[in-house]
Amino acid sequence: MTRENIVLWATFLALLFFQPFVFNQFQLFGSINPLVYLLFLVLYPFDQEQALFIVLGFCLGLGIDFLGQTAGAHTVATLTTAFVRPKLIRYAYGSTAEIPARYIDDSRTFNNFLFLVFLITFHHFLYFIMVYFSWDALGLIANNTFFTSLFSLLLISLISRFYSK
Amino acid sequence: MQRILNALIQFRNVVLYLLLLFIALVFINGNSEFHKTIFSRYGFYVSQRFQSINHKITYFFSLSEVNKKLLEENTTLKALELQNNSIALYPDALTQKARFPFKVVGANVIKNGFLSQRNYVILGRGKAGGIQPEMAVISKNGVVGLVQDVSENYSNVISILHEDMKINVRLKNNRAFGSLAWKGKHPQDFQIEDIVTSAQIRVGDTLITGGMSSYFPVGIPLGKVVQLDSIQLDGYYTIDVKLFEDPSQVQYVYLIENQDREEIKDINQKKNP
Repeated sequence: MTRENIVLWATFLALLFFQPFVFNQFQLFGSINPLVYLLFLVLYPFDQEQALFIVLGFCLGLGIDFLGQTAGAHTVATLTTAFVRPKLIRYAYGSTAEIPARYIDDSRTFNNFLFLVFLITFHHFLYFIMVYFSWDALGLIANNTFFTSLFSLLLISLISRFYSK
Repeated sequence: MQRILNALIQFRNVVLYLLLLFIALVFINGNSEFHKTIFSRYGFYVSQRFQSINHKITYFFSLSEVNKKLLEENTTLKALELQNNSIALYPDALTQKARFPFKVVGANVIKNGFLSQRNYVILGRGKAGGIQPEMAVISKNGVVGLVQDVSENYSNVISILHEDMKINVRLKNNRAFGSLAWKGKHPQDFQIEDIVTSAQIRVGDTLITGGMSSYFPVGIPLGKVVQLDSIQLDGYYTIDVKLFEDPSQVQYVYLIENQDREEIKDINQKKNP
């Protein structure tokens, strides 16, 4: 097991702990809880086997739902985001350009930023759809997606700095 | 099998994703009453749609069966209707049980026509279906004719559109009676010749069967008076009648058997030997 792998597993476990017990208690401006556990979906190597990644995404969502006492919205959103991540990567880095092996390996700031925005917005949108689960709440879903994404983006891009070599 | 396995391997991520998504949705469904309600609402909607389509298809294929049942029911109702009308014949019907000696069966019309002066109707039911000669044939809204011959599965009916066919009729709100005969042109144009002029008759009066012939029970509606050619100095009206229903267009008829006819015939012969 390489050092990267150990770091990745440690991150997985740490996020599983910190998300429900720390980040879910933030309640910025009343209700905004940044979903920092998406860091795992960002850090996981791009060139690895996708099937394992989908299972890991499912497990992460399930764990957070369990520990955070939520119904299952995290599971659906995280699982789906893990499933579509290759497409998001292609959109963010361009289909013709060389795709990096890992997020932190790449030095193109704009593409990295784009990737984060795609991933986080997609996940949050799905998450809030699952939470409200009604077309009447579309305005509320959009509002929550926007503000929560903003804080998640901020925290994830900050934390991911520490993983750079 | 190999191909299925290959396809599974090729799309393993999609299959895996769908499987896990299903598990997640089951998980949500079990945890949240809110989601459960919405899922069950969608489930109900979808199953309702399928049920509705299913019902339409089954219903379409059972239509002929339904039709048959309805015709049977109609036959029963027709008998009841005739019985109900006939109460007028028995003024004591409230105190004693009214006798209704008529039996009703239904049949399909195979052939019908009005082009000749002597028209016949062929019915798709014969001896095997309980049809006998001299049974009366009526339709939903009028008289069709009288059975002449029967074979095993068919019967031949002298149509009311026959120059020799005369039917005993009376007015609904008047006891005056006469006999109805076809004029020989339009299948709905008929004439009554022998109603006495002392009777009060107006244009628009309804005609019903008179019940004097032992073939037809009383009270089957036939048509209405359209013209009165009164007083030809012999004391009888000539009345033009338009039938409610075109007898050449009927599809389904009811046959009426008078179970007392032999008795009536006997007593008639004794009186006029």
